[in-house]
Amino acid sequence: MKRISVAERANWRAYAEEVGFNFHTFDGEPYWDETAYYQFSLQQIEEDLEAPTEELHQMTMDMVGDITRSEEMLTQLNIPRDFWSYIWNSWNKGEPHLYGRFDLVYDGTGPAKLLELNYDTPTSLFETGFFQWVWLEDQIKNGVLPERADQFNSLHDKIEQAFAQLKLPQPFYFTSVRDNIEDRGTVNYLMDMAAQAGVDVRYIALEDIGEVGEQFVDLDNQAIKGLFKLYPWEFMVQEDFARTITAANTQMLEPAWKMLLSNKGILSLLWNRYPNHPNLLPAFFETATSEPLGAGWVRKPLFSREGANVDLITSSGEKISAPGPYTDGGYVRQALHALPKYRDEYRNADTYAMLGSWVVGDSAAGICIREDESLITKDTSRFLPHIILD
Amino acid sequence: MKRSKKAALVLMVPVATLLLAGCGEEREQAMVFTDPSECSAAALNSAAQCEADYVAAQTLHPQVAPKYLNKEECETDFGAGQCETAPQQTTSGGSVFMPMMMGYMMGQMLNRGGAAGGNFQQPAAAGAGAAGSKIPTQPLYKSRDDRGTFRTATNTPVAGGIGPISLKPSQVKPQVGQVVRRGGFGQQAAARNSFGG
Repeated sequence: MKRISVAERANWRAYAEEVGFNFHTFDGEPYWDETAYYQFSLQQIEEDLEAPTEELHQMTMDMVGDITRSEEMLTQLNIPRDFWSYIWNSWNKGEPHLYGRFDLVYDGTGPAKLLELNYDTPTSLFETGFFQWVWLEDQIKNGVLPERADQFNSLHDKIEQAFAQLKLPQPFYFTSVRDNIEDRGTVNYLMDMAAQAGVDVRYIALEDIGEVGEQFVDLDNQAIKGLFKLYPWEFMVQEDFARTITAANTQMLEPAWKMLLSNKGILSLLWNRYPNHPNLLPAFFETATSEPLGAGWVRKPLFSREGANVDLITSSGEKISAPGPYTDGGYVRQALHALPKYRDEYRNADTYAMLGSWVVGDSAAGICIREDESLITKDTSRFLPHIILD
Repeated sequence: MKRSKKAALVLMVPVATLLLAGCGEEREQAMVFTDPSECSAAALNSAAQCEADYVAAQTLHPQVAPKYLNKEECETDFGAGQCETAPQQTTSGGSVFMPMMMGYMMGQMLNRGGAAGGNFQQPAAAGAGAAGSKIPTQPLYKSRDDRGTFRTATNTPVAGGIGPISLKPSQVKPQVGQVVRRGGFGQQAAARNSFGG
């Protein structure tokens, strides 16, 4: 695994905007960053990332049924009691799931370590499945990269296949928060792939969803029988329409049982079930009697996204914190496994890399890389492409 | 190869988006009859189908028909003797009036495709039309000053007589007069600005 500086494609910004990638630059700071790429060997990809991703996925899936039946674990995960039987049903009916992403620490050697799961509302999908794919094709065409360069990225193919096989109610609706352009970009990409797979796709802003009796409806008051929601389950179950969710027969993507896995508490439950697994880090629920956070530990809210409200203390005792709005739930503590540091020659600065590993259905489907100047990867962290080349 | 064989976009490219939005919807086939016997006599549908769609339209009728607080206002729009008491009541217990159903429109099944005169499948027992049909099966009305024209509950003229017609589905979506609540999701959107991860 190497970080290699490379010239940017001349017209990539114009191209990005043409294909609807409107958040390539955020608040004047680059989000998509092609001033460098990461290079992996095929062995690194297949043995250290692809196989462990599928194993971690299987381990996680094996726990879902047990959690749905355990009052103790449901309580630890802060799942509202009103939703316990709904989640149990969602799992036992076999409600299908579409996708998820593991965040891993990996530096090219040794087992990748699981930092967390994004199993409910993972984003950076378009950047991974489409934009970095096009980047590689372009760089091969430009002669910058050799013909045999490849990428671990079958996301687009696999999601399109999944939509073709899922047997979703038609029309199938997609929703996201109205004014969030990044989330809208992700949803547009999913709708695009679903449409190519023959799904009758409709968009509705989250705020426009209506309720008639015990049914969700669109702006024409037509029943919403199937809904992909890029909005966290843990919010939905607390809002005014929460009661309607359990009464309505709307098929949700991701399904309700994913609520158990997008929760950082799953890290503690996994460690408890598979102690010393090479791809896991020690993790525990924080309790009233927990010691103050010590050196070499990270504290994460059960519900948090994009690194918000994460505190960590490095082995040398330096404290690093990311601010955020997620201060209203419990916490887990996880042993710190620092992200690998690389030299960003373009910016003449150190940079830390985190790796996202995608799962579609039950298959590993590719990776994405996020870089940050700090040890905590955030929503502002840059996205860099990668290649496989031996 | 560890990467997708293709990564194509169809909707996200602006040209495609414009086409999708601007191209409009296609016209779909439907049929209009006064009652099931007239429908059976036309021999385009089975008697059972004619009856089933009629029942579906009748079930929808009290839900979608325009409502009036007194009979005179209703008759001003629909003609003397053309209004009836609706099953609904005002909150103070007063009567509500609506025009009588004067006919019905049968949606044609998508999966049968083809020209008018094709087969029709069983419609949904009640509600907004047969499952799978683009034109929802629904009741039709006639206004006082235009007795020849069949109109939907929302006053869209659809036919000057009985038989096959073609029209755009969005013009004839029945609006069930129930109370809709919106805004029940997204309340935490203001407090937290990112929802993906």
